[in-house]
This record gives sequence, structure tokens and C-alpha cells, in this order.
Amino acid sequence: MLMKTPGGALSTRPLHFIWMVDTSGSMSYDGKIQALNNAIREAIPHMQQVAEDNPNAQVLVRSITFSSGAMWNIPKPTPVADFQWEDVKAEGTTDLANALFMVADQLRMPPMNERALPPVLVLLSDGQPTDEFDAGLKALMSEPWGQKAVRVAIAMGADADHETLQKFIGNPQMRPLQANNPEALVRHIKWASTAVLKAASTPVQQAAAPAATAPPAPSGPPMASSAPASAPPMAAPTAAPAPAPAPQPVYIAPVVIPTPPVYTGPANDDVW
Amino acid sequence: MPAGTLGRGQSVRIGAGGLCRVDELLGTGGQGEVYRVTMGKESFALKWYYPESATLQQHHALELLIRKGPPDDRFLWPMALCTVPGHAGYGYLMRLREHRFKCIVDLMKRRIDPSFRALATAGFELADSYLKLHAAGLCYRDISFGNVFFDPSSGEVLICDNDNVSVDDGTLKGVQGTIGFMAPEIMSDAAAPSTQTDLWSLAVLLFYMFMISHPLEGRLESSIGCLDYGAKVGLYGREAVFTFDPDNESNRPDPDFHQNAITFWPLYPRLLRDRFVQAFTKGIDKPYARVRESEWKSAMIRLRDMIVYGPTGAENFYDSENSGPAIDWATGDTIQLPPRLHIGKTVIMLNSDTKLFPHHLDPSRLYDFSRPIAEVTQHPTNPGLWGLRNLSGDDWTVTVAGNTKTVEPTRSVSLAPGTQIAFGASTGEIQI
Repeated sequence: MLMKTPGGALSTRPLHFIWMVDTSGSMSYDGKIQALNNAIREAIPHMQQVAEDNPNAQVLVRSITFSSGAMWNIPKPTPVADFQWEDVKAEGTTDLANALFMVADQLRMPPMNERALPPVLVLLSDGQPTDEFDAGLKALMSEPWGQKAVRVAIAMGADADHETLQKFIGNPQMRPLQANNPEALVRHIKWASTAVLKAASTPVQQAAAPAATAPPAPSGPPMASSAPASAPPMAAPTAAPAPAPAPQPVYIAPVVIPTPPVYTGPANDDVW
Repeated sequence: MPAGTLGRGQSVRIGAGGLCRVDELLGTGGQGEVYRVTMGKESFALKWYYPESATLQQHHALELLIRKGPPDDRFLWPMALCTVPGHAGYGYLMRLREHRFKCIVDLMKRRIDPSFRALATAGFELADSYLKLHAAGLCYRDISFGNVFFDPSSGEVLICDNDNVSVDDGTLKGVQGTIGFMAPEIMSDAAAPSTQTDLWSLAVLLFYMFMISHPLEGRLESSIGCLDYGAKVGLYGREAVFTFDPDNESNRPDPDFHQNAITFWPLYPRLLRDRFVQAFTKGIDKPYARVRESEWKSAMIRLRDMIVYGPTGAENFYDSENSGPAIDWATGDTIQLPPRLHIGKTVIMLNSDTKLFPHHLDPSRLYDFSRPIAEVTQHPTNPGLWGLRNLSGDDWTVTVAGNTKTVEPTRSVSLAPGTQIAFGASTGEIQI
């Protein structure tokens, strides 16, 4: 490794990004599940670009699906540069609470780091939960990282339960995004995986803008100067795990520049 | 690259005049898209706003910027407003960014490897350009990672995203800045972006470039679990403490997370460290006490003059006020110091690649790195003999051991200790 100066890259914090995807039977109608698979795949390169341009965050992505029960279809927090989306299939009921319990388990410390950026949870659903949603949400909100998470919801189709999605978001200034067609779905998913991701790590602040932006901006990670400060930072960790030592670059000089020796020769050589 | 709002081959009207054609979409941002367009044989960049960003206020701002013109060539400045028949929106034309210019994020991720000299040159150019911008009554509002580019081999700078530039009139409109770069008084909603807050952001950017870390991120940062907005308001705003505040050790860099700051800080000479201390201690709550661009310029120039090379060629800084030996950061060896030239209070280390520029000999001259007036050179037949060659148009008068000689243009004088050189506007002495 050729380095002209010492040190390493800027220190980063992990930013966990979790897709929560409804794969209930109703998602199999009208090509909704195909549209969803396509929209997430379409968003990945944009998401990778946002992460590439951000020196402060180490973006780690995973995904959970819920139908009759829930399962992590991508269980490992995956660096966004390596993230790939395998098609998911739709069948069964809408056990959203099950997914919320499982996400809550993963947002507990450990396995979560005590030191991170706010996680981003993006919920995509087309219907009403068939299990105990309130209990699942309570479990999520009982975890400090669950409370801190930026929660975004995308309603797919006209039958989505907005009330449930609004409860999940937990912020009256931010509404579920309505996607009634594949183009809108692509737009919303792209927005959630770029603008929200960026706002959760290195936000740019605008003065209260006269014009509304589309899609609506989240107020969780503030984008308006009047945004209220969220809860105070978490308590200091008592025993933060020491990170692995960064590899030390080895300096290999491309060209050795000699230091001019001091002249001590005969006086008649002093000007040439 | 996905399709944008404008299609390939689309005609775009430039102001009230000619047409250009869209070649390709280069990128997208929060406010719009940037295309490469061609007019005749020349290519330019076109920024095309999204409908929600194509406001009347932005249009007026662009008209003002186009009327005023760029403070210097380092700004990719709006040249003309553009419209497309059949489209409601608008955009503006600017120069294209050459590929040799890289983003500061590339430096933060160590994807580029500039030398200390290139960093000091970039720091000088940034301060120089923002000084000109501020002198024109304008403020930038969002000095941060995303809108500054530099050539890692030379340190030349380009400043982009100039459509947020506005008259420094204290009004709260448009971009407030990027968190981490915004001045504490903006973070706490007590002020709007201004020249004074630009100076804070410039200091943060320079600290990032030289230390690959943030000036306020020490133990206070590593002790925060969730770095959310509320935590950032405290860290970068009302509870801001400089990591190297000489009177407050509460926020020293944490070796587990801020090793870069610990590594870099002692490598720099005191003159640079003192500037950062001023910028981030008094400058936290006293905007008038922030480091001015001219002070940064002077510090960056002196930094360039202090560079010496270690045994493997690694750049180090040698502070002549520091009486101890210079230790090479790359090998840990003691550095064999080259001769140095004292001109007034200025000390220039005479390495084999050192060049002198007009400002070295006459402080009243502008900084101009395009025409050196002297360079260190090796004797053509005696490789052990090094001298200073006269690249100016005037004779030098040198005094060596009581003898006076003339060194005409293109001739050289040996680097013998005690040699005095009368350059015209000033006299220097070679010392060891």
C-alpha cells in the first residue's frame, strides 16, 4: 500500500438499514411482489452511491420478510457494496408483529453495537397485520435502538392499513408513502434508501422551505431548520468493545528525494 | 446511467441565445440532475433542477450570480440560465469538472494519496478562493465534503455547487449547511449562514483534510451511543469542545476511535496547530475570533516551506523554532536536515526540489506559483555540489566569506553556510 502520509481512513459508525417486507398472499396479486423485487433491486445502486459518497457511515443492510411467521431472508448485516436482492415470494398471512419481535431482538445490545448511527427501518406492506401488532411494536420500542430508529413505511396498494403504518412510524409529521403503481414504488423505495439513508448519517439542513418536496421528507432525521431535537444521546457505554486495530499502511517511497548536502568545497566552486 | 428528465439529443436554450444538446446524465443530487451538454465542439455541464427546486427564489439567486460572475476560476460558477422548450423548469450552464479533480470524500476514505505539499497547496487555494468570494459580499453557506474537489497531485482546487451562494445579508433562507460543518451558532438556531459561519466551516474542512478526523470528535463523541440529531446538536453546537483545547482536556481524541487525530497532530508545526486551536477554542462562541482566510493562506505557505524529506522520501515538517532533531514519521529515523534559507522571518528548507517564488523575496508580491524565481539545483558535473539557481531576470549579489560576486540569471550559487544573497527586494542567508 502506497501512502504519502500516515494514518487511516476516517473513523465511521455503523448504520443498520433493515428492509421489513410483507410477503403475505395478497402481495401475489397484480404483480405486486414482482414490482417490489424489481424496485428494491433498482434502488441498490443508488443506495450504494449514497454510501460511497458518505465517509461517516458504514452502511449495513439486511432484510426480514413476514407472512405466516417471519424470517430473515438476508440475516447478516451486509456491507451495502456487497448487498444483493434475491426474489421473495408471496403466500400466507401478514404476521407483522412476528417481524417486529425479531427486529427488536436484533436491535438489542448486543448484538447491536453501543455506538452507531440511528438505524433505518423501512416497512413495506399491502394489508392489515394478522397477529398482535401492538405487542410487536411495544417490543421494538422497548429497545433503545428501536426508539432511535428512523422508521419509514410504504403502503403498497389501496388496501394497506395506514393506521398501522402510522403507528409504526410513530411521528405525526411523517406519513406512510402511498405506492399505487410500480413507478411510485420504485420512487419511494429509492427515496427511502437514499435520501433517508443520507439524512440519518450526514444531513444537509435547509431553512424551512416554501415548496414541498416530493416524496415527503421524514422529520425523524431533521431536514428542516425548525426540526425539534430528538431525545438526548444514549448513556455512555460502560464497556465499549475495543475495535480491531486498523491495518497500518506501509510507506514505500516512490522516489527518494536526496537532501542537498551542505557545500564545503573549494571557494572557487561557489558560483557556476 | 439511468435516464434523467432530459433525453439524449435534447436541445437546450442558453439564456436568450444559442442552443446546446444533451449528451448524457452525469449524476443526480438533492436538487436536480447534472448533464454533459455540447455546444459546437465544446462540452459544458448543465444542472437541471427538479420541479420542486426550480423556485422563483432560486431563479433570482442564479440571475444575481451570473451577473456578478465568479470570484476566480476555481469556482464552477453558473454561466447562463437554460430552458427547454416544452419544459416548465430551468437549469444553468457551467464548466465541466475535469477527472483529475477528486472529492474530499476520496481523501477521507484514503482512496487518493496526496502529499503534505499538495494538501498545503489545496488549503492555500481554498482559503484564497473563499477570501475572494467573501470580498465580493457573498457567502457560500455550505462548505463541506461534497462540494470541494482537488487534484491530489498538485493541490489545485475546484469549488462546485455554487448555486447556494448568496449575498451575506443574514437572512434565513435556503441551505443552512451540513451538520458537522455548520457553525455552533447555526446548530443552536442563533444565527443564519454568513461569512463568519463560512470561516468556521472552512476551518472544519481544513482540519478534516490535514487530520482525517473532526475537530470536535473526541471522547465526548465516542461516549455517545446513538449519534442522532439531538446528540449532534450538543456535540457540534452548545457543548462543542475542541479535541486539542489546551485548557480543556475533556474531549481529547479517543485512541479507539480517533487514532488519526492522535497520529497527525504532533506531525504538524506549531504554526498550524495554533491556528486550529484559535479556530476551535475562541472561535467556538466568538465568530469574530475565527481564523481569517488570509491567516490560513499565510500558514499554508509557511507549511510548504517547512517540508523536509526522511530517508525513504516521506515528507515531514521541520520547525526551525523547534530545537530538537526532526524524526521521520515513516521510519522513526532522525532526518538529515538540508540547508535552509532565512529571509527576514521566513525560513525555507532547501530540499533538492525546492523552488522560490516572488512572495518569498518580496512579501508585497502576490502568491504566484507559475513562475519560480529560484530553484535548488545540482552541479552538472559534480553531483555532490548543490546550489540555488537564479531563475529571475535580475542579477543577485552574493557574499561568501567576505567576497562579493554576481550571480546572473540562469547561474547558481552553492549552498554554503553563511552565504548572503541580495535578491534585490530582500537579502537572504543560507544557514544550517
